[in-house]
Amino acid sequence: MRFIIRHITDKIFTMLTVLSVIVLVAILAVILTPILWKGFSAVVFTGTIEFRKMQLDLFNRGDIDKLNEENARSQLCRKKVYDTINRFKQNIDAETLCDKTAQICRTFGKELQRKDMPGTEYQQLRSLSREIRDKLQIAFNSSDKKIVDENLKDVLKYKADIRFKDTSAAQLFAIAENFAADIKNIDLAKRQEYADALKEFENITVKLLGYNPSTPVPALKMDRYGATRLDLAQKNLNKLLWLEKWEQTSPGKPMVKISTPRAQLFAGTEIEPLFDYIRDNFDEMFIPKRTFYWQYLIDDSTPGHYFGGVGPEILGTLLLTLVSMVFVFPIGIISAAYLAECSSDNFIIKIIRMAINTLAGVPSIVFGLFGLAFFVLYLIPLFGGASKPCILTAALTLAVLTLPVMIRASEEAIRSVPQSYKEASLGLGAGKLRTFICVVLPAALPGILTGIILSISRVAGETAPILFTGAIAFGPTPKNAFDPTCTLSYSSYDIAVGDRLAALVPHNQYGMVATLITLIFCLNIAAIIMRAKISRKLKGH
Amino acid sequence: MTDKKPIIKADNFCFYYGTKIGVENISMEIYPKSVTAIIGPSGCGKSTFLRSINRINDLIGNTTNKGALLVKSHNVYDKNTNLANLRQQVGMVFQKANPFPKSIFDNVAYGPRLQGIKKRSDLQRIVEEKLKAAALWNEVKDDLTKSALALSGGQQQRLCIARALATNPDILLMDEPCSALDPIATGKIEDLIDKLQTDYTIVIVTHNMQQAARVSKRAAFFCLGNLIEYDTTSTIFSNPSKKQTEDYITGRFG
Repeated sequence: MRFIIRHITDKIFTMLTVLSVIVLVAILAVILTPILWKGFSAVVFTGTIEFRKMQLDLFNRGDIDKLNEENARSQLCRKKVYDTINRFKQNIDAETLCDKTAQICRTFGKELQRKDMPGTEYQQLRSLSREIRDKLQIAFNSSDKKIVDENLKDVLKYKADIRFKDTSAAQLFAIAENFAADIKNIDLAKRQEYADALKEFENITVKLLGYNPSTPVPALKMDRYGATRLDLAQKNLNKLLWLEKWEQTSPGKPMVKISTPRAQLFAGTEIEPLFDYIRDNFDEMFIPKRTFYWQYLIDDSTPGHYFGGVGPEILGTLLLTLVSMVFVFPIGIISAAYLAECSSDNFIIKIIRMAINTLAGVPSIVFGLFGLAFFVLYLIPLFGGASKPCILTAALTLAVLTLPVMIRASEEAIRSVPQSYKEASLGLGAGKLRTFICVVLPAALPGILTGIILSISRVAGETAPILFTGAIAFGPTPKNAFDPTCTLSYSSYDIAVGDRLAALVPHNQYGMVATLITLIFCLNIAAIIMRAKISRKLKGH
Repeated sequence: MTDKKPIIKADNFCFYYGTKIGVENISMEIYPKSVTAIIGPSGCGKSTFLRSINRINDLIGNTTNKGALLVKSHNVYDKNTNLANLRQQVGMVFQKANPFPKSIFDNVAYGPRLQGIKKRSDLQRIVEEKLKAAALWNEVKDDLTKSALALSGGQQQRLCIARALATNPDILLMDEPCSALDPIATGKIEDLIDKLQTDYTIVIVTHNMQQAARVSKRAAFFCLGNLIEYDTTSTIFSNPSKKQTEDYITGRFG
């Protein structure tokens, strides 16, 4: 009976162990799989023509002839959109129209001055042109159909006047006629509403299709291209087609999202059919293609991480990790050797050990501030350098951060080297230092490598310590240790806190995080393989 | 035998671990080019005495000693003793085979390298010579680069002997060298000891009475930190003068 109970408990315990392992793996999979999958979509995705244009402009990559042909096709399709917008904008925008009228009037005045004519006639014409201008401006600004018609009629009366023929004033009549024709379909009272709605419509179109060819090329690279990815394009298209509003249906209830077609805003105008046009000709405008953008891993990023890849970030992360390991490795081993070999368990050692343990629990932002105050503002100027954050200071800060981990792991490793090795070496007449370097250290190397693995994982992923000591969100590839650098961790932080940036470039955010995870994974695997090799060699297989 | 000058001489030598007695008032002379066995029950101070001879006991902190322990007429506990020199003259083989986790070649070459021999051909000559002396050459000559830990227990112990011989010591201390080995490996080591005594002074600590009888010329019986009896092996085993010795040897003790 007791044997059976023991057997059952044994089985249950085994099952619990297996279960906990499975749960752990499942949790890890649940967390990592979506991140890695979405991060993967930064490399493999459906790219639009805008993406190919961007690649050609910024990285000089792609087939120019084919792109030109595609571009012609898509521009042909887009032309209608831009034209309609331009025309509609012209007529509802009273301010622009007023400015234009005033400008023409001034030019006309100058023309008159140059002409040889009697003073009275000059004065007459001048005041007449001003009257026309004023009347037009009243008509542009008014929302009363009657006033508009009246004023326009007054103005157009002078159209036949021979004195205005072949002068710049003739343009005024053309504008008036255009305006008269266009406002027939527009409810004048809603002109301001149209203007606001059109502004938003235009903004979304710029994000979707790229900037309007009739306007100058935007200064910022991120404004020069429309949606580069099909998923972003679809997102923007939805934004274009549907107007989202949050409304409170009844007091005390949470707000509800209500979507209405944006086309309703432009009911009856020439903009209205544009919505269907864009939706129906979506593929023709974007010419989407499956894209394998492996250069994501080597490309520079544009400001704001809008386009491009994570090349400098990967390099920066690797550099930072490497440089900090250069500090951590010797200092960690020497400290561990002192703690394990040279010291007896006295008061000072207890204090040191306590300090190391406390250090391991200090929040990383505190290390960041310490790094700023000590390395950047004090130590670098002390040696005559320019006091600015750089790779060196960031690596030193990271080294300080991870030293406790390294020291503890190394101390354990050194302590676990069999006493008999030391006895054998000392028995052959070797000194303490010689024994440590030639016998103890090689035997402790696998354990020390474990410390290195832990340190690398910590260092590569830390953000807070390098915040003030050497990381930048965007910049050139560092040339030496006294340059600041981009890193994957800091850049993804930058996207996350950037103004709505994370919503605009989610693929890049995921891409960075996935790259960071993969990078740390690869570094760890490399270190683990190295450790296994050394262990095998030590064991003699 | 007794007409030779002793190579190791203890004169009222005492050794304490803190307040605990290791050995007390040991006076004995060990003669060159012979095998001297030290026998006695566990904790009697045999190993302490052995480990005092090359001062490997220094590894343990908080020890004190009294009296004199002379190796080649120099007191090893003298303040200006050169430890490296002493330990190269007095080689040691431990209870458990402890080759370094390095190749066989590097293990044997460790001592010569410490002495500053760097030339590959010299090292190769020494390694071959010492491995032959330790009767291991024929078994490992083809894979000197193999890790020492891949060898069997008996081979490892012979490798340790070769390693100890490589510094050209006069004295070889053996602290129960066969206690972890099977009878065949033990037999090989004993043959080796027999062969080595023509060139080296060997002091061996053993729990195995038959082994002591087989290999040693002289034997010392320790008990509770004291030297009870020290004579030729045949006398100790056939006609001991002390009751304690007889009890121990005949198995009535411990």
